[in-house]
Amino acid sequence: MPLVCLSSPEGIEALCSDLGVDYTDVRILMLAWKLKAEKQGYFTQDEWQTGLKALGVDSLTKLKKALPELEKEVEEPSNYEDFYIYAFQYCLTEEKQKSVDIESICELLNLVLGVQFRPQVDSLVEYLKVQNDYKVINADQWINFLRFCKEISFPDLENYDATQAWPLILDNFVEWMREKQS
Amino acid sequence: MSAQKKKAFQIEAFKHRVVVDPKYAEKTWKILEHAIHEIYNHNASGLSFEELYRNAYNMVLHKFGEKLYSGLVTTMTSHLKAISSSIEAAQGGLFLDELNRKWAEHNKAMQMIRDILMYMDRTFIPNTHKTPVHELGLNLWRDVVIHSSAVQTRLQAILLENVRRERSGEVIDRGLMRSISKMLMDLGPSVYQDDFEKHFLEVSADFYRLESQDFIESCDCGEYLKKAERRLNEEIERVSHYLDAKSEVKITNVVEKEMIENHMHRLVQMENSGLVNMIVDEKYEDLGRMYCLFRRVPNGLVLVRDVMTSYIRDTGKQLVTDPERLKDPVDFVQHLLDLKDKYDKIITSAFSNDKTFQNALNSSFEYFMNLNSRSPEFISLFVDDKLRKGLRGVTEEDVELVLDKVMMLFRYLQEKDVFEKYYKQHLAKRLLSGKTVSEDAERSLIVKLKTECGYQFTSKLEGMFTDMKTSQDTMQGFSARHGADIADGPMLSVQVLTTGSWPTQPITTCNLPAEIRGMCEKFRNYYLGTHTGRRLSWQTNMGTADLKATFGKGQKHELNVSTYQMCVLMLFNNADRLSYKEIEQPTEIPASDLKRCLQSLACVKGKNVLRKEPMSKDIADTDTFLFNDKFTSKFFKVKIGTVAAQRESEPENQETRQRVEEDRKPQIEAAIVRIMKARRVLDHNNIVAEVTKQLQSRFLPNPVVIKKRIESLIEREFLERDKGDRKLYRYLA
Repeated sequence: MPLVCLSSPEGIEALCSDLGVDYTDVRILMLAWKLKAEKQGYFTQDEWQTGLKALGVDSLTKLKKALPELEKEVEEPSNYEDFYIYAFQYCLTEEKQKSVDIESICELLNLVLGVQFRPQVDSLVEYLKVQNDYKVINADQWINFLRFCKEISFPDLENYDATQAWPLILDNFVEWMREKQS
Repeated sequence: MSAQKKKAFQIEAFKHRVVVDPKYAEKTWKILEHAIHEIYNHNASGLSFEELYRNAYNMVLHKFGEKLYSGLVTTMTSHLKAISSSIEAAQGGLFLDELNRKWAEHNKAMQMIRDILMYMDRTFIPNTHKTPVHELGLNLWRDVVIHSSAVQTRLQAILLENVRRERSGEVIDRGLMRSISKMLMDLGPSVYQDDFEKHFLEVSADFYRLESQDFIESCDCGEYLKKAERRLNEEIERVSHYLDAKSEVKITNVVEKEMIENHMHRLVQMENSGLVNMIVDEKYEDLGRMYCLFRRVPNGLVLVRDVMTSYIRDTGKQLVTDPERLKDPVDFVQHLLDLKDKYDKIITSAFSNDKTFQNALNSSFEYFMNLNSRSPEFISLFVDDKLRKGLRGVTEEDVELVLDKVMMLFRYLQEKDVFEKYYKQHLAKRLLSGKTVSEDAERSLIVKLKTECGYQFTSKLEGMFTDMKTSQDTMQGFSARHGADIADGPMLSVQVLTTGSWPTQPITTCNLPAEIRGMCEKFRNYYLGTHTGRRLSWQTNMGTADLKATFGKGQKHELNVSTYQMCVLMLFNNADRLSYKEIEQPTEIPASDLKRCLQSLACVKGKNVLRKEPMSKDIADTDTFLFNDKFTSKFFKVKIGTVAAQRESEPENQETRQRVEEDRKPQIEAAIVRIMKARRVLDHNNIVAEVTKQLQSRFLPNPVVIKKRIESLIEREFLERDKGDRKLYRYLA
C-alpha cells in the first residue's frame, strides 16, 4: 500500500479521484470522521495510518470496497450523532472559531442530512437563505437541527412546541413554515 | 341480742280486685260529655272543675280510660263538624273572621277540657301512646275544620286574594291575617306550607313575572330598580306583619328571581339608562341600588362588574390611543387621574367599597395604560410639571395627596424601568436649573419610589441630590479661597456631577468665551487640588448663563440663556453682524445644536434678541445674524434658554426605547444566571416564569428576548442543554 502523503488538499483530491469519489462526496467526510481528522482538507500521516488500521484495509482498492461498510457504520444510531457533530466541528477552520457561516451550513446540511431528511433540509436551507436574524450558526443551533429532523413531524409540524427549549432560530423557522402553508 | 332490721312502714294495695260497676262508668262519662257540650256552648261557668276532674280521674283509675278517650274524640269531632258548617256558611269577607273567632273559642275550650282531663293526659295517654289532649284538639281542628274540602279551598283562595289586593294598593285586615297564619303554624309547619305558603309562593311568582314584564317595557333602568326595591321591601314588611318569619327568605327569593335575575342582562345593558349611562352620569343612588339588588342574585355582581370592566377598558383604550389627547402629556395624565378618582368614588359610595370591584378597576387601568408605550414618559412629565410649578404654594398635605395619586398610576406601569430613565432625565434638568418648587416634595417622591421598588431604583437619584449639596459646599470653599481675585469677573456657579448617577450625556465641543474660560480653569485647579485622581469635563450642553444686555434705545434686560446661547451672544460684543459660518467657527458648537440655538435666539417672537437675514423660519448655512437693537420686552428678565423637559420627538423616543432594550439585556441575563445558579437544572417554561417574576417590579420581559439571552449564555458557556433531556438547561459552574 503506497504511503500516500496526504498532507495537502491536492493530495486528498488525488485520493478522491483514485477512489472514484467526488471531493464533495459525503463519504470523504465519513472517512475524515473515521480517521478522526482534525483539520479540514488534510489527513496527517498518523491519522491516515491509524484510520486505515481501524478500517482493516491496506490498499486503495480495499479502501474503495470498504466505503459502503463505512457508510453503514456511520448510519448506526449510536454513531450518527457523533458524526453529525463532527461534521460541524470539521468546518471550524480558524482558531477560536465557534460558528459557521450560513452558506457553508446550507451545504453541510445538504451533505449530511440530505439523504435521510430531504424535505426538512430543503425547507430549512430555503429559510436560512431568506432570513437575516442570524449570519452564522453555532454548535448549539447545529445539534438542534438534527434533533428537529428526528423528533418533529414534517411538514405539518404538529408536535412542535415553541415554549419548549428549542433555539429561537427554529421557532422562527416554524413560524415561517406555518405562514407559508396558510 | 341482735339489732333488728327496722322495716319501713308499708302500705299495701288491696290484694283483691276492685270491680266497679260498668254502669258507673257510663254515668260518669255522661257527666263529662255533658260538660264538654256546655263548654262548647259557652256555658262553662256553671260547671264545677273539681267535680269534673274527679270524675275523669275515677274513670281512668278504674280502667275506663279507653272509654273516656274515645268518647272525647267522638264528642269533639261532632262539635267541630258543626263549627265547620257554620264557618262554611259565612259570607264573603266574614269567612275569615268567623274562622278566626271559632278558632279562638276552640282553643279556650281545649284549655278547659285539658285541665279537666289532666290525669288522663298524664297517665293513660302516655301509657297507651295515644295523642295528648292538646295535640288531639289541634289535629281534630285541622282534619275536621281546616281540611274539610269547602273550608280548605275557600281559605286558601281568600288568603291569596287578600295578598293580591294588598299588592295592588288596597288596605286589608293585617291582624286577622296574622291570626290565621299563626293558626296554620300552630297546626304544624307542614299545614302552613301545604295549605298556604306553597300556593302563596307560586301565585307571587306569577304576579311578579307579569309585573316585571310590564315594568321592563315601560320603565328605564333606574325607575325599574326603584320599583323592584319597593316590592322587595313590601314583601319583607308583609312577612314581618302577618306571615311566618321563615317565609321571608322564600318570598324574597321569588321577587329576586322574577324581577331581577330574569331581567338582569336587559337592565344592565338598557340603552340610555343602563349601567354605563349611570356611570357616565354619576348616578350614585341608582348605582348603589343596582349593587344592593344585584348582590342578591347569583352572578348579579359578576355581570355588573364585567360590564363595568369592559367599559373602563374601552374608554381607557380610546383615551390612550387618541392622538389629540396625547399632544399634551400633562393634560393626559391629569385625565387619567380624574378618571381614577371618578371610578374610586363610584366604588366607595355606590358599591360599598367592594374589593372585587377595586381589583377589576386596577386590572383595567393596568391593561389600558400599558397599551401606550409612552405612558411612563408622560407620567414623568406630569410629575415634572407639578414639581416645577404645579405645586407652588400648595400645602404639605395636598402635595402628599398629589404624589400618592401619581404613585397609584405608577404602580400600574409594566415598564417601570422606562419611567426611571425619563424621571432621571427630568430630575436632572430640574436640579440643574434650580427649578424645583420644593425639595421636600422631591425627596418625598423619592421615598415613595424607594418603598415601592426598592433601594436600587432610587440610589442613583439620591446620588443626584447628594451631588447638588456637595457642589454647594465646593462652591463655598471656592469663593472662600479665591474670593478676592474673582470678584471682578463673571460670577461662576459650578455643579459637579458624579458620572454614574446622572443621565449620560454625550460630550460636545464648545469654545467658551475667554472671560469664562479663565474662571473655569481656576475652578478646575481648585477642585483637582482637593480631589486628586478625578477627571472633570465641562458639560457645555447643560449649563445656563445670565447676561446683562443693553439694546438700541438703552433698554436694559437680563437674559437667561443656555451656555451655547451665551457663547453665540458674546460674539456680538465685538461685531454687530455675523454670518452662520462666522459663528460656527469660533464656537465649534455641533451643527444641529447650533441651529437650534440660533433658532431660539432669532426666530421666536418676544425673544428675538438677534435678527436673521433672510427672515425664513429655518436656519441655513448661508444665513446672516444681526444684533437686534430694536428688541423690546415688557419683562426685565427674559428667559430664552429651553431647559424645561419636553415630550420627546419620535426619533428621540425611538432612541430612548433602544437604550432601554439594551439595558434590559444584562438584567435578564443576570436574572437567568441567578436562577440557574440556585436551581442547577431547569426547563424552559420555568426559567421564563421565574425570570418574569424576578423582573416584574421593573418591566415585563419578552419571552423571545429571554430565549435569545439563554442562547447567548449557552454560547458563552454559562449554561448548557442537558445531555439526557434536551428540554432542560443546566448551570455550568
